[in-house]
Amino acid sequence: MAKRKASVILAALTALAVMTGCAGGTATNSGSQTPGNSTGSSTQTPAETPKEPFKITIMANLHTPEVPSDKIEKLLEEATNTQLEIQWVPDGTYDEKMNASFATGTLPMATYIKNQSSLIMMKDAIRNNQFWEIGPLLDQYPNLSKLNKDVLKNTSVDGKIYALYQERPLSRQGLIYRKDWADKLGIPAPTNTEELYNMLKAFKEQDPDGNNANDTIGLTDRNDLIYGAFKTVSSWFGTPNGWGEKDGQLLPEFMFPEYIETMDYIKRLHAEGLINQDFPVTSKNDQQNLLITGKAGAYIGSMADVVSLHNKIIEVNPNAVLDVQNKISGPDGEFGVWAIPGFGSVVLFPKSAVKTEDELKQILAFYDKLMSPELANLIYWGLKDEHYSLQDGRVLPIEDISITDREVKPYQALQIGGISTIDGFYDAVHALPAKAKAEELILDNNNYLIHDPTAALDSATYVQDGVRLNELIKDATYKYMLGNIDEKGFQDAINNWLKQGGQKIIDEFNASYQQAK
Amino acid sequence: MVQDKTAGSRIFDIVNYTLLALIGLITFLPFVHIIAGSFTTATELAQKQFVIIPSVWSLDAYRYIFSTNTIFRALGVSVGVTLFGTLFSMLLTALMAYGLSRKDLVGRSGIMFMVVFTMLFNGGLIPTFLVVKEVGLIDSLAALVVPTAINAFNLIIMRNFFQNLPDGIEESAKIDGCSDWGTLFKIVIPLSMPAIATISLFYAVTYWNTYITAILYLNDSTKWPVQVILRQIVILASGLTGDTSGMDDFVRPPEQTVKMAVIVVATLPILCVYPFLQKHFAKGALLGSIKG
Amino acid sequence: MQDTAANNAVVVQPKLKKNTDLMRRILKNRALYLMILPGFLFFVIFKYIPMAGIVIAFQDYQPYLGFFNSPWVGWKHFERLFSDPMFFTILRNTLVLFFFNLAFYFPVPIILALMLNEVRREYFKRFVQTLVYIPHFMSWVIIVSISFVMLSMDRGIINELLVMMGFEKVNFLMSNEWFRPMYIMQVIWREAGWGTIIYLAAMAAIDPGLYEAARMDGANRLRQIWHITLPSIRSVIVVLLILKIGDVLELGFEHIYLLLNSMNREVAEIFDTYVYTAGLRQGQFSYSTAVGFFKSIVGLILVMGANWLAKKVGEEGIY
Repeated sequence: MAKRKASVILAALTALAVMTGCAGGTATNSGSQTPGNSTGSSTQTPAETPKEPFKITIMANLHTPEVPSDKIEKLLEEATNTQLEIQWVPDGTYDEKMNASFATGTLPMATYIKNQSSLIMMKDAIRNNQFWEIGPLLDQYPNLSKLNKDVLKNTSVDGKIYALYQERPLSRQGLIYRKDWADKLGIPAPTNTEELYNMLKAFKEQDPDGNNANDTIGLTDRNDLIYGAFKTVSSWFGTPNGWGEKDGQLLPEFMFPEYIETMDYIKRLHAEGLINQDFPVTSKNDQQNLLITGKAGAYIGSMADVVSLHNKIIEVNPNAVLDVQNKISGPDGEFGVWAIPGFGSVVLFPKSAVKTEDELKQILAFYDKLMSPELANLIYWGLKDEHYSLQDGRVLPIEDISITDREVKPYQALQIGGISTIDGFYDAVHALPAKAKAEELILDNNNYLIHDPTAALDSATYVQDGVRLNELIKDATYKYMLGNIDEKGFQDAINNWLKQGGQKIIDEFNASYQQAK
Repeated sequence: MVQDKTAGSRIFDIVNYTLLALIGLITFLPFVHIIAGSFTTATELAQKQFVIIPSVWSLDAYRYIFSTNTIFRALGVSVGVTLFGTLFSMLLTALMAYGLSRKDLVGRSGIMFMVVFTMLFNGGLIPTFLVVKEVGLIDSLAALVVPTAINAFNLIIMRNFFQNLPDGIEESAKIDGCSDWGTLFKIVIPLSMPAIATISLFYAVTYWNTYITAILYLNDSTKWPVQVILRQIVILASGLTGDTSGMDDFVRPPEQTVKMAVIVVATLPILCVYPFLQKHFAKGALLGSIKG
Repeated sequence: MQDTAANNAVVVQPKLKKNTDLMRRILKNRALYLMILPGFLFFVIFKYIPMAGIVIAFQDYQPYLGFFNSPWVGWKHFERLFSDPMFFTILRNTLVLFFFNLAFYFPVPIILALMLNEVRREYFKRFVQTLVYIPHFMSWVIIVSISFVMLSMDRGIINELLVMMGFEKVNFLMSNEWFRPMYIMQVIWREAGWGTIIYLAAMAAIDPGLYEAARMDGANRLRQIWHITLPSIRSVIVVLLILKIGDVLELGFEHIYLLLNSMNREVAEIFDTYVYTAGLRQGQFSYSTAVGFFKSIVGLILVMGANWLAKKVGEEGIY
């Protein structure tokens, strides 16, 4: 009896050992960590296409619920003579996985970095020679050389370029509002902040939906000072983007009077009930719900959102009409809008995975091809006639979104460059007039950009404590707008910020600024 | 069991039943909302924030989920990992708990302290990742089971149950000529079914909820358990990723209804496990066996 | 003289006897040691070996330098932690939430289990049991978003009800006063049902004969509970209590992170959320490990204290 039990246990342990052994085998066979093994023949002249497909491992950010089918991947492999192994990592855990892989030397050959803040986290590692510098090599490639030099500069570390970037419009920010409400109340599109205030007030008080109930408000906002309304409104008031110059010195935006003016404006909206009372804790979904269900009439954010908002709002109210507006000036009559550095995500090439410069060049060759119009359109829009049709040279995606969601959309995360750097990259048909207008206005924004001068500068204290210190100001900003603290309280917060390291950040950025001049 | 017939007892029952019914309702209501939300359209959900009974019925969300076999495959992985993992963990835990429950075992206290210590001190994500890598488990489903085989909390509880068995049992077993192995498998475990059922449930739930370890250790996305997909949908649908990478334009987040449907699909299987185990919680199970 | 020799002989004998006794005891239980072996190996490989990684709390760890080449900085990170202006606020918040947990949450599963245990109709009991542990399976993301729907000042149900009853709207989500009650209610809602499982399992082992005897002695239901049921699960309660105390600085990170905002930060910020912002989001592994280490030490001291105390009053400790 006892012996039988013992042998059961022994069997279990053996099973475990076998499983471990098999697992070990699988791990090495999938070979994702040792690219050198499978590319024996490709070490000749880098510019020539090797006969064997070149294997590239990639870690990419998954923005869809599911991993895509490999239809597009296979086409890519054929077109570039590569064998791709893509590790998809869900967005919510991307940084953890990336860091764990980095710490264990298992990063793949092309590693995407989620956004600018994640890139800043890697700056130290970049400085310490963990990634390949690709700046000098870019001109050898017809497409890669077209990448915007200013944007590349924004991704650089100590003036050197290590990354390829995915393009983003510099500013999509603007106002989306219920035109049918505005028309009913006889209000034209606002052109400055006072007119906007009046419109919001009218939306709340004058029963724009005509149901004799006092159930509407003006603006719907969410819990994000940057991508919500705040930062855009602050630009309208003339606040610098992150940092601005005053008397030759760089100072943070919250030390400028325009920042206080912005806070006062939103505070007024909140006190008078013109904005959703819980905006500091409202999620994007709930924010949009307020607009879609006709509870709010205005939305400040990316103007390109007008399409999805329109699609949702007409299901609730087929008569709703949305319109967009960008040029809203502040009290000084000037219009400005804050700009992002020009990139969304970037891709780096770890030396732990890319062993030789030859391999690097092959990877760059792959990306060069990826930036060609044919492949760029493939990964962004899909296959012609299967995922879209062309209408006057513009793309009309198919009706069934679930197909594109599953077969095409995830691949968009791989894209390098974008519409301004790829000739022949398709633009979509803008069936909705408001969307077409939004696209125009987004381009128009480019004439009024307010850049962040610290994008390419350095501050060691910022890297270490910047995020935490920003929280102090963020808290103070919200409290001020909700009326929990007054101007003195805000000043105290600023002094606190300065004391806890802010002053050092100012000094360091300024030193870096002087150097860069 | 003799029913208590006194008036005081009746009143006690009435109050008890009422309170419990109320509590049951409060805990269940939000889940009803989720189930209802999964069977309606996105518009309806946006308009009537807290839906209990949808006025518009729709299977859109479920159709979306089951239109490819990804979720089936993920469910399969989850079921497999849960079954095998629970078995494996129970074996290791029961063995160790029994050994450590015998009061005359030398070094018992020291080993238990060692176990408790691991509950407090943790090397962290990266060192554990390195060990898992060195043992060769990366990209294998075993990585979801082996590195978390024994949960110290469960071990402590199980040991406590074993310790509380009447001493007479072990003695009579020994007198009958049973070895330690025999005592454990033929006598102790059958008598500890409440504990076995409880700890099995705990392990099963933990394995069913595997998500971070899956993302970290599995590079091959076909091996992902269902919670990875669920999480991704919930996070995307809740808009928690924000605009930091600006991808929101390109990818339309899943509808709220899809989010609710996935919650239902991912939670229902594990919810069904407990009722099956409940028979082990019948009173007097232990005693009956002893008397027999 | 002879006596002394004899005495010496006697003295030497017990010592030898003790050692051989020890050996004999170990050998007698060799099967038990074999049983413990697989689990023991597990702990060594997957818990103790990675534990060496705690060393990065004393280094300026950089992933590409690894454990051996990252510079040693001694107590620097701990100094940074203790000199942080938020340190005492965070410590206070953590301790207060812990006490709330202990005082308000801990008894609930026990009471609920007692109530369920008294139910004679099996179907009702199983039904309610299944209902009360459903919340445990919902992730905090979902629970917090449902709470938002209910507590929001814009269209929240609770506030609408309050207004209907003639009260003012309450700012649940963005105030210091309501954070703690809201937090603990959510914890109770989610975990109470699940927590009953262990207690019910323990209650299943109680001899029904005891209840009969008590009834014959004239004890009513409440007294039966007090004198029979509760004492029988006392050891389980003690074990869980000790474990909970060891968890003192461990509060649900995700839960609080989702509830945290600028208006309640003063009472809501705990070590984990603070480190998340200051540490992980900026890729600072060493700092977050140092904070984790600090929490572990505190937990260890408390567990050892609690365990000792438990043994002193005659209970079995957890080791």
